[in-house]
Amino acid sequence: MSASGPLLHRRQLGGLAAGALAAGALPAKAADASTFVNGWALPANLDPHQIFDVPMQALMLNAYDTLYRYEGDPPKIVPWLAESHTVSDDGLQWEFKLRSGLKFHDGSPLTSEEVVYSFRRVLALALAPAGAFLKVLKPENVTAPDPLLVRFKLETSYAPFFAAIPSICIVNPRVIKANEKDGDWGKTWLASNGAGSGAYRIIPTGYRPLEYLDLEINDGHFLGWADNPKPVRKIAYRPTKESSTRVLALLNGSLDCTDNALPADQVDPINASKIAQVVKDTIMRTYIIRMNNTKPPFNNLNARLCFAHAFNYSGFINEVLNGYATRDPYPMPDNLWGIPTDAKGYDYDLKKAKEYMAKAIAEGAPMKRPIEIHVQTENEQSVQGAQLFQADLAQLGINLKVVGDTWPNLTSSAAKPDSTPDMWVHWVSTYFVDPENWVGQMYDSQFHGTWKASAYYKNDAVDALLRKARGLVKQEDRAPLYQEAIRKIMADSPDIWIYNSISLMGINKRVKGRRFCTVGQGSEVRWLTLDG
Amino acid sequence: MKPILRKLSRDVPAMLGLAIVVFVLLLAIFGPLIAPYPGDAAASHLTRRLKPPSADFLFGTDNLGRDIFSRIILGARGALAIALTVVTVAMAIGVPLGLLAGFRRGWLSETVMRVTDVVLAIPQLVLALALAQLMSPSIETAMLALSLTYWPFFTRIVYAETRRLSSSLFVDALRGVGAGTGRIVFLHILPNAISPVIVRATIGLGFTILVAAVLGFLGMGATPPAPDWGLTIAESRVYLPTAWWYVTFPGLAILLTVMGFNLLGDGLRDLVDPRIRRSR
Amino acid sequence: MLRFVLRRTALVLPSLLGLLLVTFLLIHAVPSDPAAALAGDAATPEQIARLRHQYGFDRPIFEQFLLYLDKVAHLDFGESAFSHRPVTLDIAQRLPATLELTFCALALSVFVGVPLGVMAALNHNAWPDYLLRIFSVLGIAMAAFWVAIMLQLLFSMQLGWLPLRGELSSTMAQPPRATGFLVVDCLIAGRWDAFADALRHLALPAVTLALGGLATIVRFTRAGVLDTLQQDFVFYERAMGYRWLRLVWIFVLRNSVTATVTQIGLLFGGLIAGGVVVEAIFDWPGIGSYTVQAILTGDRQVMLAVTLLVGTVYAAVNILVDLVHGLLDPRLMEQG
Repeated sequence: MSASGPLLHRRQLGGLAAGALAAGALPAKAADASTFVNGWALPANLDPHQIFDVPMQALMLNAYDTLYRYEGDPPKIVPWLAESHTVSDDGLQWEFKLRSGLKFHDGSPLTSEEVVYSFRRVLALALAPAGAFLKVLKPENVTAPDPLLVRFKLETSYAPFFAAIPSICIVNPRVIKANEKDGDWGKTWLASNGAGSGAYRIIPTGYRPLEYLDLEINDGHFLGWADNPKPVRKIAYRPTKESSTRVLALLNGSLDCTDNALPADQVDPINASKIAQVVKDTIMRTYIIRMNNTKPPFNNLNARLCFAHAFNYSGFINEVLNGYATRDPYPMPDNLWGIPTDAKGYDYDLKKAKEYMAKAIAEGAPMKRPIEIHVQTENEQSVQGAQLFQADLAQLGINLKVVGDTWPNLTSSAAKPDSTPDMWVHWVSTYFVDPENWVGQMYDSQFHGTWKASAYYKNDAVDALLRKARGLVKQEDRAPLYQEAIRKIMADSPDIWIYNSISLMGINKRVKGRRFCTVGQGSEVRWLTLDG
Repeated sequence: MKPILRKLSRDVPAMLGLAIVVFVLLLAIFGPLIAPYPGDAAASHLTRRLKPPSADFLFGTDNLGRDIFSRIILGARGALAIALTVVTVAMAIGVPLGLLAGFRRGWLSETVMRVTDVVLAIPQLVLALALAQLMSPSIETAMLALSLTYWPFFTRIVYAETRRLSSSLFVDALRGVGAGTGRIVFLHILPNAISPVIVRATIGLGFTILVAAVLGFLGMGATPPAPDWGLTIAESRVYLPTAWWYVTFPGLAILLTVMGFNLLGDGLRDLVDPRIRRSR
Repeated sequence: MLRFVLRRTALVLPSLLGLLLVTFLLIHAVPSDPAAALAGDAATPEQIARLRHQYGFDRPIFEQFLLYLDKVAHLDFGESAFSHRPVTLDIAQRLPATLELTFCALALSVFVGVPLGVMAALNHNAWPDYLLRIFSVLGIAMAAFWVAIMLQLLFSMQLGWLPLRGELSSTMAQPPRATGFLVVDCLIAGRWDAFADALRHLALPAVTLALGGLATIVRFTRAGVLDTLQQDFVFYERAMGYRWLRLVWIFVLRNSVTATVTQIGLLFGGLIAGGVVVEAIFDWPGIGSYTVQAILTGDRQVMLAVTLLVGTVYAAVNILVDLVHGLLDPRLMEQG
């Protein structure tokens, strides 16, 4: 029952099978050359001002436009709906100049007024995408001095402001206001509809949450289609819930691509098939084992150092992940600016771990108490990492208990130090490309209570450095501050930083022209062409 | 008792079931002695991951290089432990309630049977999932959820039998000679009602193993690294279709065990009471 | 007869209320914070607190329950905290898919199961009986999720005969929505291509789901026929020279249908719950996958609505079954 053998003959047998089994008995084949069957997950709903996660980023890049956008690998922030921008010297006033002649899907004009409405809507809903703006931007301080100019006045200087601009979609107030209910900003309506200007248009009749969604091409997109004469005309989102079904569907051609968290063990079988291949991209997504620094023994530095030396980094990366990840000893992706490259991380060394353990015990840390590590049950890699750790810690005489858990549960437990597990495993993806996305929000103590800061690490010197860096605008001024902060954080070893990801996505060989960017993780369809 | 056993021994499927049950019981008791790699319940061997079946590893190895054959043998104990616990707890709740509701008349009996109906209407899997969410997924949560939803079946059976028996002539006769209620219920009604309960319990053992496996599969039952059969299938999904052995053998283990309990239960049912219909 | 239905329906209401209360208390004991789930990955603690208040998650529990009951009485099941869509809308879209699958599975198990059951009874304690019994037990003993994966590997991957997932090919245009039942809608629109495509998508999930039910039907038909065969009137008719097979079909089967109908009622509830796993593996856009999603995200409104829905369907099917019993044997209706 190998994957490759009989599958390859199926095409030739297709005719026979069709004869035998009535009309339409051919194996499910992906589409004609104009429909891209997308295996990515769908966000919880379609409103980009309510949801902000990796699936939404992927959808947003296709259905909506933003003032600036990240493109390329490594990611560069480039003008999109805006032509250019200026910032005052104190970093408080930002002005964006729009392109002229921009239009929404319904043909109505997209001017600075619609941009102002969009930002005010984000701030009023105050859901996930508003996170970066709520503290620094008041709704009345987003204004439209003229139809092609948008002005922002910030409360305090906040460098990540610009980095987060590509996370705010510009929506069409005319269609939303028509469907508003008791001042809900059209929240219910936009959850199942589209109101954008992007390269593809959401077809609301074909939408069923988390099951399927169809989008059709927007021939009038402002960028035009001159750079892609044979674009995908229809995107059919067909997310699969089971990982096994996902791979099988790719191999029998009923999906054009899987999501980009393909298990490393699937790379060889998929590459051996005639129909599909695996594309690998270095992305900015770090894999971390969190330690709750408020709970003994994790409040003891030597204890934390013991754990940091007891994880088999290279075994995990090379054997379990077949090398599809890069060892990243920093609390941040190693391909981002602000990394102190001279700092050395920790290695797998059980001898050292034992020494640290002895010191910790001498200092009264309860190293022998049963320790719980919570994993995301639906996520194979988090389970495997914990199991590997369990086996190694057992050699030290430390009893690690693997507890299955779910993401919503974990994020809400992380709201308080008491309910936060001893240890837990997660990734930090790129929400915006800035050290703030990682160290800034993970180790500044003002973020305690959010899942990103769930180590409950507190170091006044680090707090000061991170806060100072946040207030400056220029990268060359900020970088040394982050380097200094990271050196201090690494010395305290509050968490176990394991790797920076390589994204693995199974893709049908007929798909050509893919462009990758770590923001959205290569999900932009407008560059694609389908063979045959 | 003897003629019943002789009759049972002539029933081929039932004997097959009995053989399977005994075999699984032996595995559960002596598992760690039989398994070629007893340490593989929790160990990991990264260098021999996902090897196909061979002379060394009869059923191949899994994602952490553990011997699947050993893990299936070691899993028998967990599976039986869950099944026995759930069915015992469900009987401990269900049988007394059934006796009470069946022998007493009036509001008490009505209330008990209404509550039973409500609980029967709760989808078992939904309750189990909700409880797992409530108290974090673990084998204990799964057992609790299954026990809480399984007892109404026993209440119904015992209720029906008690009703039938308590209006029968011999109970009237016993009352006539002045026997107390307790004496009538425990010495005369319970022994007569027990045979359908045993049948139900036997089938319930198989059923519970199956539902526990589904919970393991959904990530709401056993937690790693337990060699749970359902959990193993869940873990194997990521490696399909290449590692076919990884999903196949634990599935067969569940199949065989549940089949054993069902065949035995069916045979017993045919013997003791051909009239039971309402049980699943 | 109308009185019978009304009385049974009146009895169901307190049960459903009880079910709702139990579920409500259970769900609210869950520590997972719906406000945090609602706010999303990048939310700050202040954002979460605001939402908690806005959705009333911070009110006393009995107050929340009364408010909820009031809404349910107006057929308003609230809004999913996860998708911000009205729960009623989601259910209206998804329920037909589940019912379609369940009916197909049930029909399969009845049409195959009843004849097999009769065959087993007629060959009581002989090899066909043994084989059928083992076969029917196999159906019960196979874990649905395992069978599903095995069927996918065989029929979709090795043989390539049937589609792997979903309810319609991605290239196939959806028929206009009339009833919500895809197969029916295809017929109404006269879309034969889509009809055939939809049926092919139904095949594997329906077979997977039917296996357990099939086995149960075989068992109970067998028991029913055996029971009837041993009754006096059958011996009498046989002595009168009736042809054996004719006798079986007319008397025996009619009498054993009662038992089987009961089983169908019980099975229906089981099928809806069993659908959870099957729907997940075959990406069937029904209530099952919706329920799992709701539980995983702690979506309270959806969990409550789904429990109530399943409870209602379960009760309705049981009333229907009793009604069928009554029609087959009017004496039962009198006793109620």
